[in-house]
Amino acid sequence: MNILIVEDEVLLAMELESEVEDAGHIVVGTAVDSRQAIELIDTTAPQFAFLDIQLLDGPTGIDVGRYLSAKAIPFVFVSGNLKRIPEDFAGALGAIEKPYTMNGLQNAMKFLESVVDGRATSLVPPPSLVLSPAVLATLTA
Amino acid sequence: MTDNAHNRQDARDAGERLVAGHASEDPFAAAFKATRMPMLITDPRQQDNPIIFCNSAFCKLTGYSNDELIGTNCRLLQGPDTDPSAVSRLRQAINAEEDLAIDILNYRKDGSKFWNALFVSPVRDASGEVIYFFASQLDFTDIKSKEAELARARHLAEEEVALRTADLTDALRAKTTLVHEVDHRVKNNLLTIASIVKLQARMTENSVVERTLMSVLNRVEALSTVQRKLLNDEEVGHFDVADFANTLMLDKIGALKRSDIRMTTDLREVVVPATKASPLALIINELVGDAIRRGLSDGGGEIHLEIRRLNGHFLIRVVDTVSPVDVDQEEAAFSETMLEACLKQLRAKMDRVVTGHRTDVSVTLSVKD
Repeated sequence: MNILIVEDEVLLAMELESEVEDAGHIVVGTAVDSRQAIELIDTTAPQFAFLDIQLLDGPTGIDVGRYLSAKAIPFVFVSGNLKRIPEDFAGALGAIEKPYTMNGLQNAMKFLESVVDGRATSLVPPPSLVLSPAVLATLTA
Repeated sequence: MTDNAHNRQDARDAGERLVAGHASEDPFAAAFKATRMPMLITDPRQQDNPIIFCNSAFCKLTGYSNDELIGTNCRLLQGPDTDPSAVSRLRQAINAEEDLAIDILNYRKDGSKFWNALFVSPVRDASGEVIYFFASQLDFTDIKSKEAELARARHLAEEEVALRTADLTDALRAKTTLVHEVDHRVKNNLLTIASIVKLQARMTENSVVERTLMSVLNRVEALSTVQRKLLNDEEVGHFDVADFANTLMLDKIGALKRSDIRMTTDLREVVVPATKASPLALIINELVGDAIRRGLSDGGGEIHLEIRRLNGHFLIRVVDTVSPVDVDQEEAAFSETMLEACLKQLRAKMDRVVTGHRTDVSVTLSVKD
């Protein structure tokens, strides 16, 4: 899958990129603010995105999320403060809470892959992943 | 004689007749005249129901002389701020020949206002016909102004409270923002530390260095999980050990990718102060980590984690049945040192019983400490 990473901490973005690539995906770009993120969404047409909420230009990750969901690109929030996420998750599949562990991230990624592919077999996500109400409803339907 | 003067004379005559009907030594009449309670009598059978008699207390209250009052209707006491609905209730009671007690704003001759607790009552003759109305007045302006004063004081107090509450709400909001900001930075820093360690582990070609860095990462991540669990709780400053342990175990099971290593848990909620969170998390991490290290042979095995209260104490128990493999002595020694440091910090006690391939480790500590 072609993946976009939106994260204002370059070190964290680098490490996340390595993890994503180790899982067999291609990182098409990393953005540090909402302007750059939207530009990359338009130019690289990613199939999935990891999205921090607090970016260089403020808590703009939610807006980027709405932009992604308008384009029907699935994504997951990666944030230290899940309380910032609106009730509808701005269209996100779910959220991974920082600071995640290596194992936690890998487990969450595996589960998200299965949701995106539409072959999620388990209803119970790993503890490192909080699913959005919409995804939970689909899985239990 | 004008009509007005004529009516006035009639009212005076009626009053005199009324008084003449009572001997001068009549104690009731004497009381009526002498009481400090303002009182009057009107004659509804005369035109416009005029006052035919009033006592000196009433003259004193209103500032009018007896001469001015006799023959006039009581409405002369009304003024611009008198409540029209009170006046209309009074009129209705008189028309209906009923008793009425009502608070009404009246005016003195000099134009000053007073609050009048008015009581009006019809007086009937033997045949039941209403021949007089009796009215008594009570000036309660003092009470009314005290009420207003109280209301004003209460209003001021409420304003002061609202102001103070707003101040406190602002202070609380600032403090909450600060706590969240600090929490956010701590979380980011922990993830940055982990990223630095992972980055170097990725870059090294030396397997010993890599193993060492991953061993450091393992402990940093245990602390990261603690930090994640701390503020999420409704009870800030507390830490649910079982919740942490559950996350830790599921993380590790998912990462092992070994169906021959089975993990089971028996976790009861045990909440401890946040200050104990890190050493407790590291103890659980070391115990489970040690069992996994010893069990990473082809034989696999079982690892069981138990957390619960026991006789006022708090128990962490890890039981494993594994086909033991030779572990890295340095890594095992490091783990043991970490464990001992954390046990010392918590003043906890550890018992380790090894029977064949079965290792049973219990850590107990006082919850109250």
